Amino acid sequence: MNLEFIVRKLELSVRCGEDKLGREVRGGYVGDLLSDVIGNSNEGDIWITRQAHQNIVAVASLKDHAGIILVNSSEPDSDTLDKAIKEEIPIMVSELPGFEVVGEIYKLMHT
Amino acid sequence: MTQDKKITKTQELIYSLRVKDVMSTDIVTVSPSNTMNELKEILRIRRISGTPVVEGKQLVGIVGIDDLIRCLSNGEMDATVGEKMSKKVETLCADEPLANAVNKFEQYGFGRFPVIERNHGRLIGILTKGDVVKGLLTRLEIAYHTEEFRYNNSINPVFDNIAMDKTNFHFQYRVDSRDFNVAGESINKLKKILSQIGFPPQIIRRVTIAAYEAEMNMIIYSYGGHISVSADQQHIILEACDAGPGIPDIEQAMRQGFSTAPVWVQELGFGAGMGLPNINKCADTMELKSEAGKGTHIKAVFNTTNGDGV
Amino acid sequence: MKKKGGNVTLSEVKEILDATVFVGEEKLDMEVKTAFSADLMSDVLAFAKEHSLLLTGLTNPQVVRTSDMLDIAAIILVRGKTPPEETIRLAKELNIPLLSTRYILFETSGRLHARGIVGCIEKVPLGEMT
Repeated sequence: MNLEFIVRKLELSVRCGEDKLGREVRGGYVGDLLSDVIGNSNEGDIWITRQAHQNIVAVASLKDHAGIILVNSSEPDSDTLDKAIKEEIPIMVSELPGFEVVGEIYKLMHT
Repeated sequence: MTQDKKITKTQELIYSLRVKDVMSTDIVTVSPSNTMNELKEILRIRRISGTPVVEGKQLVGIVGIDDLIRCLSNGEMDATVGEKMSKKVETLCADEPLANAVNKFEQYGFGRFPVIERNHGRLIGILTKGDVVKGLLTRLEIAYHTEEFRYNNSINPVFDNIAMDKTNFHFQYRVDSRDFNVAGESINKLKKILSQIGFPPQIIRRVTIAAYEAEMNMIIYSYGGHISVSADQQHIILEACDAGPGIPDIEQAMRQGFSTAPVWVQELGFGAGMGLPNINKCADTMELKSEAGKGTHIKAVFNTTNGDGV
Repeated sequence: MKKKGGNVTLSEVKEILDATVFVGEEKLDMEVKTAFSADLMSDVLAFAKEHSLLLTGLTNPQVVRTSDMLDIAAIILVRGKTPPEETIRLAKELNIPLLSTRYILFETSGRLHARGIVGCIEKVPLGEMT
């Protein structure tokens, strides 16, 4: 399953990294605490969070995440977008709360 | 405010208490016709060192152990009290302030003063230094208990206080900078109080969320302050005042997601830039006054008459 | 796994998540329909609704205080976290069930969602957060 499939199924708004949506998603991680995400997420995860500051790009880049989905309509700062474009990390936004976003992705992964 | 010397509770008491409030009324007296030998027995049995001399009901003198010793050495134990007593008696009036008594003890160096009723001069009691000390201590203890009771109630309101109703309650507590451990504790209490008073759950929810966000802001960013919640006929009013340092850019601070919180605060699950916008969202009206270098004052008002709101 | 539709008891939640119950053994027959997952208490305060499950990686006592304020039905700690004594004590005092699962938040949310639990809010319209 790639990012593009998730974007379509969940009707996500892509804020940057449209050209990277072909990337394979291996798993998912939800978390708003950067230390937790750095410590426990895996390469190829789609990271679901509501944090929107520029540090999330550094974390996603460090852990080589497939992309970041911001939930609760949380919008990335302009600094975050600049950095994400530079680091080639796709950022998507959902109106749904984290629980629903995860639930839908989990369902896609298990069917 | 002039910085006069602070009047202590003891000082206050010696002016407000009267002699009659602390004197002993269980008085041992002798008559002028008693012999010095009889006096010796009375002093020995009652373990006292002196007594007023009363004829009829009138105070006529005072006699003490000094007089007795003189008689003993002179072999005059058969003399009457009337012959050997001091006829010039210093007395106190029952209605005099205790302060006068204290001065008199100092001035004369006596161990006791008979107390007379001002109008008819009758003996009604006796005042010793011991009575003064005991009287003051008793009152101080009562005052201390009252003070302590009041203090406890102010920080830990009695929930079933029947005086509290929808238009007459006031809840206030102090918030210390960086004190995360007790954060929210007072608000859990506030929530109970509001629900006991009978406010609708939706209103309570909005007030408590706003109070919690205000408290968190104070803990994270300010030097500390206080939060108060009160009510009038139509509103609940939440006020949060801190001692600084103030918000340099209010517009920026009001934006969702804007935060200057350090990482350690974010790791606790706070400081996501939701605080002020959240208070604003919960309240019907919100005023925010802040000045850099000074303090921040938030006033959030919740209408209680138009149903559940949000 | 099929959506059951309707309520799930805490007891089933415990089973689905292979969870340890720290507080609230006697309330396991309580039924829940909705959940909210977050690590930011401010988000919980802003969005969580009463009678929902709170799924979180935070274990400090503030989680319990926040839950009490919002009338959260039960707290599920993820990633096998053992809560500090003070958190347990407070949950007991405020009578809020406290469970802990070894699953990560993603798996926890996914499993509950698959059993019919839904998010406690539908959505936050785009643009509202800026």
